[in-house]
Amino acid sequence: MRRSVVVTGAGVLSPLADSPAGLHAALCAGESGFKEIELFPLDGLSGNGSGPRRAGEIRPFEPRDYLGERNLRPIDRTSRLLLAAAQRALDESGWTPELRAEREVGLMLGTVFCSVKTIAEFDRRGLQLGPSHVSPLDFANSVINAAAGQAAIWHGLRGVNSTISAGEASGLLAIAGGTSQIRGGHADALLAGGAEELCFESFLGHLRAGRLCGPDDPLPFDARRGGFALAEGAALLLLEEAAEAAARGARVFAEVLGHGSAFDPLETADGAAQAVARAVRIALDDAGITSGDLDAVSVSASGSVAVDRAEAAGLAAALGASGAGVPVTAIKSMLGEALGASGGFQAVAMLGTLGDGFLPGIRGLERTEEDFPLTGAGAGTRRVAVRRALLTALSADGHACAVVLGAPQ
Amino acid sequence: MEPRIAVTGLGLVTPIGVGREDVWNGLLAGRSGFAPVESFDTHRFNVHLGAEVRGFEPAPYARRLDPARLGRASQLAIAAARLALEDAGIDSGAVAPERAGVAMGTTSGEPREVERLDDRIQAGEVDRVGPEFLSLYPCHMIAAHVARELGFAGVNTMIPTACAAGNYALAHALDMLRAGRADLMLAGGADAFSRITYTGFARLGAIAPERCQPFDRNRKGMIPGEGAAVLVLEPLERALDRGARIYAELAGYGLSCDAHHMTAAHPEADGAARAMERALADVGAAPSEVSYVSAHGTGTPTNDRLEILAVKRVFGEAASGIPMSSIKSMIGHTMGAASAIEAAVCALAVAEDRIPPTMNMDDPEEGLDFVPNVARELPVRMAMNNAYAFGGNNASVILRKVGL
Amino acid sequence: MSQDATEIRARVKQIIANVAGLDPARIGDEAKLRDELKLDSLSLLEIGVDVDLAFKLELPDEQYKEIDSIPDMVALVQSRLADTQPQAQHQAV
Repeated sequence: MRRSVVVTGAGVLSPLADSPAGLHAALCAGESGFKEIELFPLDGLSGNGSGPRRAGEIRPFEPRDYLGERNLRPIDRTSRLLLAAAQRALDESGWTPELRAEREVGLMLGTVFCSVKTIAEFDRRGLQLGPSHVSPLDFANSVINAAAGQAAIWHGLRGVNSTISAGEASGLLAIAGGTSQIRGGHADALLAGGAEELCFESFLGHLRAGRLCGPDDPLPFDARRGGFALAEGAALLLLEEAAEAAARGARVFAEVLGHGSAFDPLETADGAAQAVARAVRIALDDAGITSGDLDAVSVSASGSVAVDRAEAAGLAAALGASGAGVPVTAIKSMLGEALGASGGFQAVAMLGTLGDGFLPGIRGLERTEEDFPLTGAGAGTRRVAVRRALLTALSADGHACAVVLGAPQ
Repeated sequence: MEPRIAVTGLGLVTPIGVGREDVWNGLLAGRSGFAPVESFDTHRFNVHLGAEVRGFEPAPYARRLDPARLGRASQLAIAAARLALEDAGIDSGAVAPERAGVAMGTTSGEPREVERLDDRIQAGEVDRVGPEFLSLYPCHMIAAHVARELGFAGVNTMIPTACAAGNYALAHALDMLRAGRADLMLAGGADAFSRITYTGFARLGAIAPERCQPFDRNRKGMIPGEGAAVLVLEPLERALDRGARIYAELAGYGLSCDAHHMTAAHPEADGAARAMERALADVGAAPSEVSYVSAHGTGTPTNDRLEILAVKRVFGEAASGIPMSSIKSMIGHTMGAASAIEAAVCALAVAEDRIPPTMNMDDPEEGLDFVPNVARELPVRMAMNNAYAFGGNNASVILRKVGL
Repeated sequence: MSQDATEIRARVKQIIANVAGLDPARIGDEAKLRDELKLDSLSLLEIGVDVDLAFKLELPDEQYKEIDSIPDMVALVQSRLADTQPQAQHQAV
C-alpha cells in the first residue's frame, strides 16, 4: 500500500497577499500584483523609458510581523521571505515548536538563484575592499541551499532538507520531490514549495535575455503577449503522510495524488511541448486518473511568447479529447514570474479553489492567437466544482513538471 | 519490490587526473592535486594553494554543444558524463531518451558568470551585460547542459546542496529509479574553481596554508578544489541482461539536517550521526557490516573532530576496526563534486577490494584507522560515503557488492 | 583625527548592535559578546571585519578572536590607533 500524502497547511508571501485566503481572494477579484520597482534603481536599464519598470514586488514587507524579535541581520531577503511563509504554514498546520522538537519536519525548497544578490554583493565587496574585508555572514548566504538552511535553523526543521533548481519549474518539482520523500518513508512531514527574491542582478539578467515584457503588465496566453514581469515571494505547502495527519487530528486541505516530470533536450517548441505532455501523462498515471477526470488546471504561463505556447500545446496533447475544454487559469497574469516560488504560488492558490470552487481568471486575456492549441483558458473568474486539479510548469530551459491535487476525502 | 540499482559506469574529472583509470591509479598512489592557484590572482590573500583541474579541454567531450557557450562547471560535468557513459559501454544515441535522466549536485553553479557580471558592474559597464548571464549562470543549466549534450529527456534535476550535493543527487537518482521513473540515470556533481568560493573560505580562516591533512592532529584546514563526477545508475536486472560491468550496488541513503548553524556542524554531530544511521536503516544493514568509510574529511580542525565523534557514535566499539580515509587529502575539497567523486571511489573500492589512503598524515588522531599514507587491499563488501554541507545538509550513501 | 574612548565605544557598540540585531542603547558598556549577547563564531568574525574596516586597523584575525567583551574591543582599537597614529595620543581624553 503506497503511503498517501496530504496537505495540512500552507503559507505564502506574495505580491498580492500574505495568506492563502488573502491570495485566493485577490486572484479571484482579478487584482494586479504589479507595481513600480522600488527595491533597486532602474537608471540606465530601461533605455528610453520603453523598458520594463514594474514587477511583482512585495511591498511593504516587514519580516518582524511574521518572525518576532530574533536577530535577522544574518538573514537575507530571500531567506526572510521563506522564513515568514514557513512560519505561517507551520502555524496553520498546527506544527508547534513543541511538536517540532518531538518529531521531525523537513523542507524541500525550489529556487533558481536563492540569492544572487547576496553572492554578487559578497564578490563586489571583495573587489572593492580586498578579500580580508568581505562579509562572513554574506558568504554563509552565498550557497544556493542557504535559504533552506536558514529556515531549518530558525524553525528547528530537523527532517530531510533539500534544495532543487529547475528554473521556473523548481517550485512544483520541490512539491513532487517532497511527495516522493514521504511516499518513500524518508519523511512523515515536510514543507515543500519555493522562494525567490526580486533583485537587480536577476532583473538585469532577464532583461538582457529579452524575456521581460515592456512597461505594461504581462498577458499570458494572449496574442499580444511579449514577455513576463518578474516577481518575488515564498509559498509552501505542509505535506504530511495521511495516516500520521489523521492520527494528530490535523485538518486536511488537499491530497497530492500524483506527479511527473520530463525535460526537453532539443530546445525546440515541439520538444518543450512534448516534455509537458509527458510530465502530465506521468502525473495522471501516478494519480490513477485520466485527463477526463480533471476539473481545473493552473499553468505556469507567464506571458512568454514561445514558452506559453509550448506549455499550452503540451497540455492540450495530454488532455486529448476527453480533457479538452477543462477550465485553465494562469495566475502569473496577476502575480508575475517569481521563478522558484511560482510553483508554490500555483499550489497554494489551488487550495483556495479546491476549498470554495472558484477558479481565478487570466487577467488581461482578450484573445489567444489564431491556432492556439488550448481551449478552456478563461479571462474571468469561474465557478468550478473541483475534485481534481492539475498544476503544470514549463521552464524557459525545458524542464516540465506536473502535479495532481485532489480535494480532501 | 523495488528494483535494486547498479553502478555501471564512472566518469571523473579531478585535480589529479581525468578518467576512471587515471584518477583511481592516482588516488591509490597518493598523487597530489595541490598547486599555487592559477585561475586568478591570490596576492591579496594570505593563502595561495588550490586543487584546480589544469589543462582541461572541453572540446573532446562537448560534441553537440559548443563549449564556448558553456560555463566551466557545465564543461566539467559534460566531460564526466561522456566518460561515464563510455565507461558503462552505453551509446547515448541508443538510449530511450524519455527514460534517461540526469541529477546533478553543485555548490555554486557557475560562479565565474557572477564574477564577470560583477566586473562589469564595478567598471560601470552594465550595458555590456548580454543574454549570456541567464543562459550560463543559473545552476540548473549544469544538469540541463548534460541532458542537451546527450539527448536525455527524462527527469532533470539540479540539487545545489553545497558540499553534500553529490550524495543528494545520487539519493534523488536512486529514488527515481526505485520508483520506476527512469531506466537510466546519470548522477553526480560538478563545481568550478572561483574567486568567490576561495575568498569565502579564506575569510572564514578555513584554508590550510601549506598542506591538507585530514584527521591529522596538526591539520590546519581545507584546500578548495574543482571537478566533476558522474555515475551511471540503472536497475540491476537491466545491467545483468546487457552484460554490463557492475562496480557495485547503490544500496541506499540517509539524509538529515542539523538545523543548528550555517557554517559549523552540530556540536555533538547529531545530524551526521542521523544521516549514517538512516543510510544503514535504508539498506537494512548493521554498522559492523561496513567495510570502509569514505569520509567528508575536509582537513579543518572542527569538521574532522566532529566527524570522528559521529563515527564513534554510530559504530561504537566497531569504529576502530573500520578503515576511514579522506581523498580530500589528495584532490582537495571539490565542493559539489566531492561526494560524487567519493561515491565513485566507494564503487571502485567495492569492485576491486582496495581503498585509497589519507595522505599527509604525520600524526593521526587516535582511536580510528585513517589508512595513513598508503593504499590498502582488503575485502570491501560495503562502503559508506559521508558528506556534510553549509546549511547543515548531511548525506550518507552506501554502496555494496552485488549479490549481498 | 583623534578618537576618544567614548567615541570609540559608541562606534564599536553600533557595529556590534548591527550584527546582533539589537538596539545599541540596550547593550551595556561591559557586555560580554558570547555569553551575554549570544553571538556565534560567524557573527564574531563579522564584527571583527566591520571594526577593522571602520577604524582602518588592518589587524590579523587572531587579534579579534581573543576579544570577548566591549571593553576588550575598545582597548584593542585604542591601542592599534595609538600604534599607527601616535600624534593622536596626546589629544585623547
